[in-house]
Amino acid sequence: MAAVKNGITLRALCKEYRLGKTTVAALCNVDLEIRSGSFVCVAGPSGSGKTTLLNLIGLIDTPTSGTVHVAGEDIQGLPEKLRTRYRSRTLGFIFQSFNLLPVLDVFENVHLPLILHRELSAEEKKDRVMEMIGAVGLADHVRHKPFELSGGQRQRVAIARALVTHPRIVLADEPTANLDSRTGAEVLDLMVRINAERGTTFIFSSHDPKVMERAARVVRLHDGQVEAA
Amino acid sequence: MERLSLCIRNLGRHAWRTRIIVLIALLGAFLTFVFENLIDDISRKQSDMFGRAFSGHFLVLDKEIETRNTFGFYYARPEQMMDPGQVTRVRRFLGSLPEVSGSQERIIFSGLYYGEKDAERGFRGVAMDMGAYAQNFTDMYVARGRPLGVGEQGACAPSWYEFEQKKNLAIGQRYVFLLPNRNGEFVDREVLAKGGIDYHSMPKDAIGISSIFFDLDGFRAMVGYERPDATEVVGFLKDARTSGRVLPRVQQWLAANEPGLKVVSWREYAPIFAEIVLGFDVALKTLEGILLAICVLLVVKLTTFSIIERYSEIGTLRAMGFSRGDIAFQFTLEGFLAIAAGSAIGFLLAAGLIGALHATGVHNHAIFFSYMIGDGFRPSFHSAKVVRVAGVFLAVALLAPLLPAIQGGRLSILRTLEKR
Repeated sequence: MAAVKNGITLRALCKEYRLGKTTVAALCNVDLEIRSGSFVCVAGPSGSGKTTLLNLIGLIDTPTSGTVHVAGEDIQGLPEKLRTRYRSRTLGFIFQSFNLLPVLDVFENVHLPLILHRELSAEEKKDRVMEMIGAVGLADHVRHKPFELSGGQRQRVAIARALVTHPRIVLADEPTANLDSRTGAEVLDLMVRINAERGTTFIFSSHDPKVMERAARVVRLHDGQVEAA
Repeated sequence: MERLSLCIRNLGRHAWRTRIIVLIALLGAFLTFVFENLIDDISRKQSDMFGRAFSGHFLVLDKEIETRNTFGFYYARPEQMMDPGQVTRVRRFLGSLPEVSGSQERIIFSGLYYGEKDAERGFRGVAMDMGAYAQNFTDMYVARGRPLGVGEQGACAPSWYEFEQKKNLAIGQRYVFLLPNRNGEFVDREVLAKGGIDYHSMPKDAIGISSIFFDLDGFRAMVGYERPDATEVVGFLKDARTSGRVLPRVQQWLAANEPGLKVVSWREYAPIFAEIVLGFDVALKTLEGILLAICVLLVVKLTTFSIIERYSEIGTLRAMGFSRGDIAFQFTLEGFLAIAAGSAIGFLLAAGLIGALHATGVHNHAIFFSYMIGDGFRPSFHSAKVVRVAGVFLAVALLAPLLPAIQGGRLSILRTLEKR
């Protein structure tokens, strides 16, 4: 109960987009509960609504109707200031294209979200950053720029960046799509390990069956609706 | 510090764009700084270098006298002269005005002298304190010889010369002059051309009108003035551009205290010089305004390009929890740093140039500019201008990137992430 209470609850969630004169329903009446500490894969073919679902949980987008509750709080009803705070304190994002800042090295990229955490001292921030870089196995590449890293290494940096703020929830949109299968497997191993060690909730999207296998739970979407298990 | 470091990194990454902004700011600050200092110096130089004879001075004289002739020439009847009491009162009042650097009483008259083969020559005469000659008639005059000293009754050769060299006076020669006394009667007096300006040594491309200068006390003694009357009192402005506010005060005082007198601005009888100063002022200020506008527009454009190029970065930062204000602040800070850096370099270069020109002086013999700034012009710094121009550029540095930065902050996260 506690895990559900602290988890994510979606009720009658709908998202429609207008494309010219046409209205496209990206999500339709999605009901979903995700326990805290879960390792969940949102699976489905292209256009099934996977990214839209993650965007709504991540407050990157707003639903047409329905609610999103995180730890019992309706996050979609939050004012802008609190939405920003929610993203900085509660969430971590991992993007398909890594989205690292090319002007910053590994340390600085991982450090970036901590700029918003003024309650931490410079020393505490540094310790956290080094801890996360070590956890993803890149301690020897601290001063390397993204262009000096492989795809897998860049994704590890992105994972470290997503976790450095100790978020409750990490959202990853197709995190292994731009990686070869071996590197993708390594990245998934890392995510599984962190989920087990820290209890961070991972919600990631994929259409790759091999990736889906690694998830403790798979939520299948088709045409914006959750398929029955 | 973290945000500052991020901004500096981004400026370095987008080097070509940063360089353009820095260059624009550098040029703008350099030119604006130089112009603003020059405007002040040129105006003050004009007030000074004409000997305050044409630019930056004014006349107090009988209000019936017409002064529509070029360079203040007029014909005064004896009853239109100012008595010594009036002269003293007017000069005392002018001395109380902070914008006025000094005053002088003069007698302007017309006379005749017999030149070669007894040919009659008309001339314009000016009797003034020749001890102050060098002070009032400065480097506009490329002079040889010396001005008359106080008490010398001989005539000084004209300090302007005409193309007709026959009207030159030969230094050391004696001439018979017909000079008007206080009663308007012309009296013969033998006059020695004792020195002053040698026509033949003047640059041939200089133009002007002829005047023959006499020492004031000497002239009065020579033609038998019983009391020290004068036809006018000349007031000299420290800065020619202040006449607009000084003359109304003088007029007001005259109306209350000396109703028989009026004040005439140099602009009324030498409009070309007023137009030169005003034209220069307007031209430079217009140029400054254009430069600033170009600077602002280009910075706005470049900041907008930068934001479009960095959509993905903006989306990522917003997803991490950076607010709209954080994004706007970052882009504003980047623009501010680039403009501030360029402006600072521009100021330093301008300061170096002005300092160098001040040390060496600007030597020019071009006739037009010689009327404006003379030879050996030395520009200098004006602290009020430095502060003002620096303030303008700081404001530009802050405001120019602000609007596009705010718009960048307001972009939808979804839209920016989709653009990657």
